[in-house]
Order: sequence, then C-alpha cells, then structure tokens
Amino acid sequence: MRKYSKEWFLLGVLLILIAIMSFLSPDKFLSFDNLQSMAFQLPEFGIIALAMMAVILTGGINLSVTAATSLSGILAAFILAGFNAAGVNILITIPVAIVVALITAIVCGAINGLAISYIGVSPILVTLATMTLFEGISLKFTKGDAISGFPEKYYYFGNGTILDVPVPLIIFVMVIVIAIILLEHTPWGFKVHMLGYNPKATALSGIDTKKVLFKVYLFSALLGSIAAIIMTSRYNSAKVDYGSSYLFQSLTAVVLGGSDVTGGYGKVMGTVIAVAILQVTSSGLNIFGINRNITDIITGAILILVLASHYINIHYLQYQRLKKSIKQKKDII
Amino acid sequence: MKYLIRRREMVVFLAVLFISAVIYLNNHNFLRLENIIDILKANTVLGIMAMGMLLVIIMGGIDVSVGAILAAVTVLIGNFMLTWSDNIILIFLIGGLCGATLGMINGILIAELKIPPIVLTLGTMSIINGCILYFSKGVYINNLPHSFTEFGRLTLFRIPVGNGVMVGFPVQIVFFLTAAILTWIILKFTLIGRGIYAMGGNPDSAVRIGYNRDRITIFLYSYMGFMVGLAAVVYTSIIGLVGANNFSGVMLQVIAVVVLGGTNILGGAGTVFGTAMGVFLMAIINNGLVLMHIPAYWQKIVAGMVIIIVASIDVIQRKHSERELNKVDL
Repeated sequence: MRKYSKEWFLLGVLLILIAIMSFLSPDKFLSFDNLQSMAFQLPEFGIIALAMMAVILTGGINLSVTAATSLSGILAAFILAGFNAAGVNILITIPVAIVVALITAIVCGAINGLAISYIGVSPILVTLATMTLFEGISLKFTKGDAISGFPEKYYYFGNGTILDVPVPLIIFVMVIVIAIILLEHTPWGFKVHMLGYNPKATALSGIDTKKVLFKVYLFSALLGSIAAIIMTSRYNSAKVDYGSSYLFQSLTAVVLGGSDVTGGYGKVMGTVIAVAILQVTSSGLNIFGINRNITDIITGAILILVLASHYINIHYLQYQRLKKSIKQKKDII
Repeated sequence: MKYLIRRREMVVFLAVLFISAVIYLNNHNFLRLENIIDILKANTVLGIMAMGMLLVIIMGGIDVSVGAILAAVTVLIGNFMLTWSDNIILIFLIGGLCGATLGMINGILIAELKIPPIVLTLGTMSIINGCILYFSKGVYINNLPHSFTEFGRLTLFRIPVGNGVMVGFPVQIVFFLTAAILTWIILKFTLIGRGIYAMGGNPDSAVRIGYNRDRITIFLYSYMGFMVGLAAVVYTSIIGLVGANNFSGVMLQVIAVVVLGGTNILGGAGTVFGTAMGVFLMAIINNGLVLMHIPAYWQKIVAGMVIIIVASIDVIQRKHSERELNKVDL
C-alpha cells in the first residue's frame, strides 16, 4: 500500500487549481504577464513562510517575523538612502546595506532565541513582545514615514529579470535549496525535527537543545532579512507596515503545507507548494474580478478543507488497515 | 507567605505594583480615582475577552479568531439596532448569542475534525473577516440609536473624590466584573471547569477518568464566543461607532495578557486573578506612558520589553523553586 503523503496531495490541489484557472480563462491566467507578475509577488511571501516554518518545526511560533523583516528593511533603507544622497559608490552602498539588514536580523533573532531557548519563556509570548518591540523601534526611526531615494541599481533585486526570469524568483529558489539542505539534510536539521517531536528525549540523548533552538530563531530572522531586501527593492521604499499582512498568511501557508503546529513534522516543499496555492488562488480570483474579500473567505475554506481531508485520509487508511488485519486474523482462524 | 510568593501570578502582581509606583512618582495624577476608573473602563473589552481566552488556553487550545468574531458581532448588532430594536437587553442577548454561535462553529469543527485549534481558528478568522468586509462593504455606522449611546455613558453610582467632585462608576466595569466572577465560578465549582484543567494537564488521562473531550471543547469555544459577543456590545457602547475594523492587534493583546498572567500556554494552569493582573499590567503600561508624556513609539518599545522581562523573571523564579524542590527530595 502506498503511504499517504501530504505533499503529493497538495501538489494535486495546486495542479487542479491551475487547471481550473487556465480552463476558465486561458488567455488571461496563462498569459506571460500574469505568470511573471505572480513570480514577482511569490518570493517575499514564500521566504517569510519558510522563516515561519523553521520555527514551527520546533513546536514554537514566530509572531515577530514580519516585524523583524520590516525593521531590517528600514535600517538597510537608511543606509541606502543616506549613502546615495552622499554620493557613495553603489559597489559600497549596496553590500553595506545588505550587511546591515543581516546584522539587524541576527540581533532580532538573538533576542528571540535568548529569551526562548536560554531563559525558557514560551515562544508565543516572547515573539508577541518582540513584535511590538521591533515595531516600536521601526516607528522610532521612521516616525511612520516611508524611506525612499535608493540607488537605481538596487531596484534590480526586486524587479530585475535574467532571461525573463525574475531575480526575486531566482533568490527564492536559492533560499529553497538552502532551506532544504539545512533543514532536511544536515545534523542540525535532524536535531530541529527531533526537538520538535520530543524536546525532553532530545535533551536526554545528549543534544544541546538550547543551542539548536537558538540557531532556529537566528535562521528564521536571517530568512526574514532576505525577504526584507527583496521587499524594499520591489517597493523602492521601506515602511513600518510593509509585509505585516504576511504574518497570518505565512502561518496559513505553513499549516496548509502540512507542517505539524505542535512541531516535529514539516517539509520545505510542502510550504512552497502551499505558498503557490495561495498565490494562484489570489491572482486567479483577481483576474476574474472577484472581490478581494471573497478571496479571504476562499483561502480560509481551502485551509480548513485541506486539513480536514488530511484527517479523513489518514483515518480512512487506518480503517482500511484495521479491516485488512481483521480479515487476516479470520483467515488464520 | 512563602506560598503566596511561589504563586505564578505574584510576579505580575508585583510588577503591577512596581510600575504603578514608578508612574506615580512621575505623575501624581496616576492614582487619582478618575484616572483609575478611566483605565478600567478603557480595558473592559480586553478584560472580558481575556476571561474567555483564559479557559481556552487552560485547556491547551488557542483562539485567534476572536478579533474577527468581535468585528462580526459589532457589525451585526449595529445593523440590528438600526433596523429592529434598540432594547439594551435584546442587544446584549443578540450579541452574546451571535458570538456564542460563531464560537460554537469553531468548537464543533475542532472537536469533530481534530484540527489543531490555532489552525482552524486561523481559517475561520480569514472566512469571518472576509464575510464582514464583503457584506458590510466597509461602511461605518455612526448614527447609533440615542438610547444606546446614552447607555454607553451610563454610570451606576457616584463616588465623591473630595472638593465636591463626584466620579461616576461606569456600567462597563460591571460587565468585566461579572465576566470575571462567572469565569471564576466555572473554573472553581463546576464539573466542566475541573474538566478544563484536567484536559489541559493531560488529555488522555482526563478522557479515561470520564470527561467528554468533545463536549468540553464545544462548550469552551462557545463560552469564548459568548464572552467576545459581550465584549463587542461593551466595545460598541464605549466607542459609539460600528465598522468593519481589523482587530488582529486586539487578539494578540488578549493572548498576551492571559499568558502574562501566569497561564501556561501548553495548558493545565491559569487563574482568573492572574489574568486580571495581566490586564491591569497592560493597561497601566499604556496609560502610564501617556501620563508621563512619552511618545507613542516608546510605548510599544516599553510594552514589549516589560512583557519579556516579566515573563523571564517568572520563568527564572519557577526554575529556581523547582530546583529547591528537588533538593528537598534528595
């Protein structure tokens, strides 16, 4: 009997959705413009969803992911705008801005990681607090305004194309590969899964769980800063509330992607497919001119339906197995 | 005395006292009765919702759809008031019922489909938010009936504060007290309340003892919905305006105050007193910083830091006491 796989089921859902959309509106949905615009919108959301997934693997949650993302975007934007106004060469400006974004992310992640792993406060409370904290710091720096006036070349990260393939999509693919390697093919990734499945047993088997957990929050924040670079470049500005709508959407994508919110199970590809499902749904419905609010309703319904069908599928398989074993016993008798 | 210090709520209680003292030294208006009553009135909505969330979190669940339910009920009662009746009792009944129904849908789906609560409520949040915006078309109602806005300003009795000035006791606080007492009674004296603790501590053992998991779950989320419905009416009476707001910030605050009040996010522990202290802590931080003339962005920074510090002290102290317990055992 083939094992039921959540990821294949999701891929099926995605393909059916694409088929329905292309059948209903082949000239618009399958048009080059639409595909390209989806490819531009997908990466930032996808990377934030992966940042959320890494934390959910450990059984935690990172509500500060979007706040940290926008904070690192804002600090990078100050460097970009300031150096640009001072006439510094872009070969210095852009690397410095990226380094600033990464350092901000490391600091944000370290605050979360320290409080959660070394002190032991529950993740939901810490990240809620750091969410307000980072928002406050962002507001202090920007006073709510948007920062703009970046060097022209910076535009390339979010809007450029290489052979018609959007640059953000290429960055996204690189992030996916790195995430798959780190989370699914390294000892650290294995420990992350173990930690999510049973923290006590992991600690007793001689693994420094605190260190593993600390690194997870660093990893999550670093992914956030990559999303920040794409986002600031795509909008050509930075503002406090950029990306804040991705908070619950990313949670939705992770859960839709089959990750277990109690930790221990989750596949990078599952999350990526779920992100694609959400993107196809919203772009597709947008093409048909359907009200944005209906899209919200449908997204929620898809989430519940897919999870319910996981449940029903698993129970159906268990029922089949039970029937089989009863039959075998009868045969023996 | 030692027992008192060991209790988890004490950290929050001491934090409330400490921060109050700091604010009082900066601005003596802080401890004026008018100000305290104002703080209470402004935070009744948060408090009522926290009481519902307390039960859900004790059982190890979570409800992120409270913001959506709050918005849905405000819009529903707003339209009800305009088209049918402005009878206060009827409005409260309708508000509570609508909230309870939406909560019950959550409860039934969680109990029957065994979907993790955070996921399912995330889905219903998205659905309810979409429905409200679609049906209300984002229109605000600001011509609520006169009798209802009068009710919002109603005070029960007046308290003299000296110099012949009287301070009214707003009716909204009564709802908060009622919600707190009702929750306390449910947790302390009813079978279902004990079942909630048992389920939160160890679901499998609780089922073996004979608690009905599904029934408790459905009751819990309905009660949560009912509290949110109540909070929605109180909220409307304070604001005097109905609109399809985005309440996701409120939802996060509700969870924060419950967890801040010493409730274990994994379930099994939590008290009404602790939650009330969590609400007060949040309230005085926000109010105190206004009184100290500190800009809004600092409020967020300070609120975030206070939550982390209080929670850290709580955890460190608990680990310390556990270590002492082990010493005794050896």
